Amino acid sequence: MTQTRTIDIAIGCAIAAAGLALVRLGGRKAHRSAVQTHIDTARTFNRSSALLALSVLTDSAMEHYRGSFENPAMYTPLVVSTVSLFAGLHGGSDNEPSRHPVRDAVYVSAALAGVAGTGFHLYNITKRPGRWSWHNLFYAAPIGAPMALLLSGALGAVSERLRDEPAHEPRLFGMPAGGALSLLASAGLLGTLGEVALLHFRGAFQNPVMYAPIVIPPIASALLIDAALARPREHWFTRLWLRLTTALGFIGVGFHARGVARARGGWRNWSQNLFNGPPLPAPPSFSALALAGLAALRLRETEKK
Amino acid sequence: MSADSPHDAQQVPRGKNGRAPDVFHPGAWMPMREYPQHEAVDFAIVGTGAGGGTLACRLAEKGFKVVAFDAGAWWRPLEEFASDETHQGKLFWTDERICDGDNPLKLGNNNSGKSVGGSTVHFAMVSLRFRPEWFKARSLLGYGADWPLDWRDMWRYYGKVEEALKIAGPVNYPWGPKRPRYPYRAHELNAAALVLARGCEALGIDWAPTPLATVSAPRGEAHPCVYRGFCVSGCATNAKQSALVTWIPRAVRAGAEIRDLAMVGRIVMGDDRRATGVEYFREGRWQFQRARNVVVAGYAIETPRLLLNSATDRFPDGLANSSGLVGKNLMVQTNQAAWGTMDEEVRWYKGPPSLALTEHWNYEDKGKDFFGGYCYMSQGPLPVAWASTQNGRGLWGQQLLDEMQKYNHQAGLKIVGETMPQERNCVSLAAEKDQYGLPVARVTYSLCDNDKRLVAHSLDFMSLALEAAGARDVWRETDDTCHLNGTARMGDDPATSVVNSDCRSWDIDNLWICDGSVFPTVGGVNPSLTIQAIALRTADRIEALAARGDL
Amino acid sequence: MNLPRYPDYDVMEKRDTPSWDEVTRNVIDERLATPDDPHFFDAVEWRALCALCACIVPQDQRRPAVPLAAFVDARLAKNTGDGYRDARLPPMRDAWRIGLRALDAESRARHELPFASIDDEARHALLTDMQQGRLDGAEWCGMPPAVFFTERVLHDICGMYYAHPRAWSEIGFGGPANPRGYVRMVANRRDPWEAAEAKPGHEEKAQKENRRVR
Repeated sequence: MTQTRTIDIAIGCAIAAAGLALVRLGGRKAHRSAVQTHIDTARTFNRSSALLALSVLTDSAMEHYRGSFENPAMYTPLVVSTVSLFAGLHGGSDNEPSRHPVRDAVYVSAALAGVAGTGFHLYNITKRPGRWSWHNLFYAAPIGAPMALLLSGALGAVSERLRDEPAHEPRLFGMPAGGALSLLASAGLLGTLGEVALLHFRGAFQNPVMYAPIVIPPIASALLIDAALARPREHWFTRLWLRLTTALGFIGVGFHARGVARARGGWRNWSQNLFNGPPLPAPPSFSALALAGLAALRLRETEKK
Repeated sequence: MSADSPHDAQQVPRGKNGRAPDVFHPGAWMPMREYPQHEAVDFAIVGTGAGGGTLACRLAEKGFKVVAFDAGAWWRPLEEFASDETHQGKLFWTDERICDGDNPLKLGNNNSGKSVGGSTVHFAMVSLRFRPEWFKARSLLGYGADWPLDWRDMWRYYGKVEEALKIAGPVNYPWGPKRPRYPYRAHELNAAALVLARGCEALGIDWAPTPLATVSAPRGEAHPCVYRGFCVSGCATNAKQSALVTWIPRAVRAGAEIRDLAMVGRIVMGDDRRATGVEYFREGRWQFQRARNVVVAGYAIETPRLLLNSATDRFPDGLANSSGLVGKNLMVQTNQAAWGTMDEEVRWYKGPPSLALTEHWNYEDKGKDFFGGYCYMSQGPLPVAWASTQNGRGLWGQQLLDEMQKYNHQAGLKIVGETMPQERNCVSLAAEKDQYGLPVARVTYSLCDNDKRLVAHSLDFMSLALEAAGARDVWRETDDTCHLNGTARMGDDPATSVVNSDCRSWDIDNLWICDGSVFPTVGGVNPSLTIQAIALRTADRIEALAARGDL
Repeated sequence: MNLPRYPDYDVMEKRDTPSWDEVTRNVIDERLATPDDPHFFDAVEWRALCALCACIVPQDQRRPAVPLAAFVDARLAKNTGDGYRDARLPPMRDAWRIGLRALDAESRARHELPFASIDDEARHALLTDMQQGRLDGAEWCGMPPAVFFTERVLHDICGMYYAHPRAWSEIGFGGPANPRGYVRMVANRRDPWEAAEAKPGHEEKAQKENRRVR
């Protein structure tokens, strides 16, 4: 069991580091000028979109490989998320206060691919014996997975639209941009939560830590909704909780690695355990959304109403 | 940590010198309490399977001094279970038994285990509850005999066993009264199981993933199932929740002693019509362990065999046999099947053999011209087992080779069918002696007309289901049985039963029987869950009786 | 249907992969090292047994044969039983001895030659008669030939064949699987370490896949 011991130590260090960071940074706010903030926010959303795209790329590559790429359409999320990833990295360092047409097109197609993917997955579930059943939700195409691609596209597309907005009191979807973005991040967290809850339920919550991703993110989500709809004020607790959610995503990878290591044969049996064990690329999707949430929150805190 | 060679397990006892194998860590040991032979322990238990292992654990946890004996070896699954059907024959009772009657039984790897953990080391992990009405089969359904147990009581104990073994079952179970959610989720269905599902949906009946005693997620030190498919040859990952990796380690931690490679040959009676202990053969010589109570849990052949072999002048017909029923009413379950060839590659060797089932014909009483019920399950026999099935069909030569070549395209449905208790079906003693000098068991079995009607109904239905699922060249396996029960039945009348509802023999106060022998009827589901539930209940009853001074 | 084939698939290729563990390697090595000469049967019985095995499981002469007679002989030498026997049969060793001698006697009665010396067609006819219960010479010593055929001949010989890795490779069985089991469970899907079935017209593709199985 030495494989799990090493990972336990790594997880322990990660938790300690995260804890330390949280204690030190807490909910402290950093001051920014109005002009930089909405572009900063946009860039963060580009980066969050990239992180989500990376998660989708690795996850769909593994899962569709497991599905033997039986339907050629299964290559789509790999291609789309790769392009989306590059778009996100590009946008993440782009200070242009205007929508980038190519990036935007990439994001919109990513979102559409996510919607299409959900359709495909729904079909895969319902064509099997038992149709809409717990068994098929557990073992057929995961119903919530393509939504990560939709979210990646959404975060990116929203970021492009935000760039087009004026620096002073930017608005999206008929509301102050910070509020709109907080709601989007909140929705994203809830959506991801659904998939985790399903799969951790499938794992019978055999390790109590598996409750963490269905307890921590919904609170983050609720706090973001509150931040969006209530009067703008400082939200140190929300910030703290979002940082906690961010850490959770990365620490989750550690726990998933532990899950792979403690399966029969451990890492040596990687050709089975990477696929049958807990998915390594999945947890960072929480981090991506929490980081977006933090950016949205920063913007929100500069708004008047 | 001291290493012992894999072949040692069957030569040199491992449960001694104050330690027991720790089956979760290769080569490791755990401390085990030992009891001197000349001091009477509270309970000497013969057999460490679904009945004996469970009871040993619970009695030890309740503070009793327990020594449990098993004729078999104490295996270390992680290092000693090879991925080979033939070699793993070492898990089975390969000492001779003679089989006769109209339908002579096949024993050995079909249903008789010989190891610490008993037959649960090789079983297919199917963990089903009795239909409640079966506990009053005579009063409510008009056949067999009533159990002296209330289904609601058993329902509670079923829940406890399921929780203790972390049974992996479906979120919703289509049949029977409400039950608590299975602790772990059901496993992914393989292609063979999906054939069953398609067939059931085509015929309009319910189906479900089978509740199995193998974990679908990590549990403590046990790895989750890797779907290697060698389940009935012994699980090498410890995903299978056999008694060897559940009740036995718990029993040892609670202070029980397990003596492996210990064949109990005789229960010794004192002058006061009470048992004084057991004679057993271990390490080349006969030894004697004194005990205040003796529990026989050797399963339906060895239990009556031991009781009959322990006959004395005072008990010329064997122990606990005033009713004359020790060894009688042997019931198997019919295990016929329909098999077919699919266009798609099924590769049924992946995963546990019975991943999906339907209990429709256990709960549906209309449309039957027979008493009793049956469930049927998908299948996944490995090559040697599959070749044996073809032999049963009479195939050999090029015909056999051609048929076997279709291995990866086969699918099948196999029943676990209820048979009626018949006194003529029995376990008796033959003239031949075994390597210990003990008379060998003779097992006489014949199906009755009701049994045959049930089988005929099932074969018709399963053939239809297979064809509806797209199978071609469907053929019927007409001769197979599984499991063994009934040879020391429980009841509430000493004239018509051997033990009472507490599994205590009517004739001898301190002689108990706690295994599948006590079933008055066998039902249409695999017996392991029921045996363990009875063992849990018996442990509670013993505790209550002891508290009242009735022991 | 055309019988499925798995060209160039060999479970032994996985011997050093996570599909095989130490105990399995030892067990199979031991089996493959079974000496191909009799330790239980005498020379006459051995000849009859070899001919019998060749009938029950006809093997492709172009490939090294699975030494079935050797396996049967080795098992009888060790005398590991099944854990039961039909009451109509004597114990395993006696049953085989009686059966082989009786088979030779029946063959001599019909063809004046022992079983090993008659041709395939004659052997096949004799065995079919045994299976159908049409033999009844005194040499059977009261043992029902049909029961001997099913419970001993078929059971023991076929069991041995399908316990050999060559047979596993032939039928496309995944073979030993610990710690590595399987990932793809549904129909028409194989893991890269499973046998690839040759689809009609695409045999080379399957061959290439099977050579890569690891």
